[in-house]
Amino acid sequence: MYEKLRKYLEEIGHYLAASKEKEEILTELKSHILEKAEQEFGEVTEDALERVMNVYGSPRKVAEKYMEGYQIIAPSFKGYLIRYTSILFIFHFGLILLSLIFKTSMAVLPFFYIPKIDSFQALFYLPMAFVFDLGLVGMILYFVTQSRKDIRLPWPKLKLNWQKIIERRQVKSKIIPLILMLMGYAALVWIYLRLDTLFFKTLDFQNTQSLLTPVASQWYSLALLALLGIGILAYAIKFFTTSEWVNLLRSALQLIILGIVINMPIDNPFIELIYLDLNAIANIIIAIIAALIAIDFLKSLIILGKKALMKKTFS
Amino acid sequence: MKNSIGQKKTEEVPGMATDIIPFETEMNRGFLQVLVLVLLEKSRYGYSIIKQLEEKGYALEENTLYPLLRRLEKKGLIKGNWELSEDRPRKFYIISEEGRAIRHQLLEIWHGQNEILNHLLEENKNV
Repeated sequence: MYEKLRKYLEEIGHYLAASKEKEEILTELKSHILEKAEQEFGEVTEDALERVMNVYGSPRKVAEKYMEGYQIIAPSFKGYLIRYTSILFIFHFGLILLSLIFKTSMAVLPFFYIPKIDSFQALFYLPMAFVFDLGLVGMILYFVTQSRKDIRLPWPKLKLNWQKIIERRQVKSKIIPLILMLMGYAALVWIYLRLDTLFFKTLDFQNTQSLLTPVASQWYSLALLALLGIGILAYAIKFFTTSEWVNLLRSALQLIILGIVINMPIDNPFIELIYLDLNAIANIIIAIIAALIAIDFLKSLIILGKKALMKKTFS
Repeated sequence: MKNSIGQKKTEEVPGMATDIIPFETEMNRGFLQVLVLVLLEKSRYGYSIIKQLEEKGYALEENTLYPLLRRLEKKGLIKGNWELSEDRPRKFYIISEEGRAIRHQLLEIWHGQNEILNHLLEENKNV
């Protein structure tokens, strides 16, 4: 067989891999190309075949013509790919946070299994979780498309005014709240420097007693200062720019700090108090804070996505 | 000059900013289907269909015709059959009974659309 023609058909076959009629199409194409070469150039030679193949166009273009009308996901379902993936990812993200806080593995069979990981591993696990969610939703939409039934996919009718939501988050910072924040922060730093802790057992300033062991006091106080510091810094930056990226970065940094707090190698941070399980209470408080920051993080992600979409629609 | 499916390009209107090719391609999609169904009243192979259409002034790329033949065959509107002619295996196509019925309906639709269009164009003249 003619070498160039063989290679050309092989290449087309590569792009037709998804087609059940691949072999049949290739046999037909071979016949058509040989026919044209003979009819137009008198005899079939490598040179004649090359000219015919040049007229036919690139292998990918030829293969795509045969696949017109074949859809992996129907256009009417494409919007749901991102919608459902976002919801699933929010759920997945929440589970990862919980498993980090309670230092345990978690499973929602048959879909999710989150191994016991630390915050650093979670940074790598999150993108993987997103790809998994996208794949799972994609697979379901693929089956829905292939069923060729008029399936109405569920989606809550939320009449959200995105323009308004975005505008509300784009408010520039004000000077008085910033001054108050800085004063409060300075007071906290002063207390920490004087008393080595920000967590007290009693509010008797004459006889202060830390709620935590000295090492735990130091770490948790610094973490709290870092969390608040990042919040104030982001507020200050919003004097100059109202970009949603500032909020996203703030939440991301705060989540990383919480991740570090959760993974601190401190076994028993509390000075013994028998009447309360403070470890459990602390975990719940951290979980609530983490959830609030995570919600804000996801809100920023959704707003950034929505803004990009609006830009695309109106441009 | 040929357009995207190889047909002789429509005369360009001076000052026309929008490219006509995508619109023409869209319009030709259905037309070519009917054309092939009409042409395949007699058994023909791919290359001969192209030549036949070329003679009638309708130039067309192989890349457009052959996938269309496959789609029509898959839908049962035409029948394909490999034959050995002039020492070469060629796939011959001919319209099926189902194809004839569809062709009849398509031509009726086409005539109806033509009438509507002519009627509207007449009305436009009086605006």
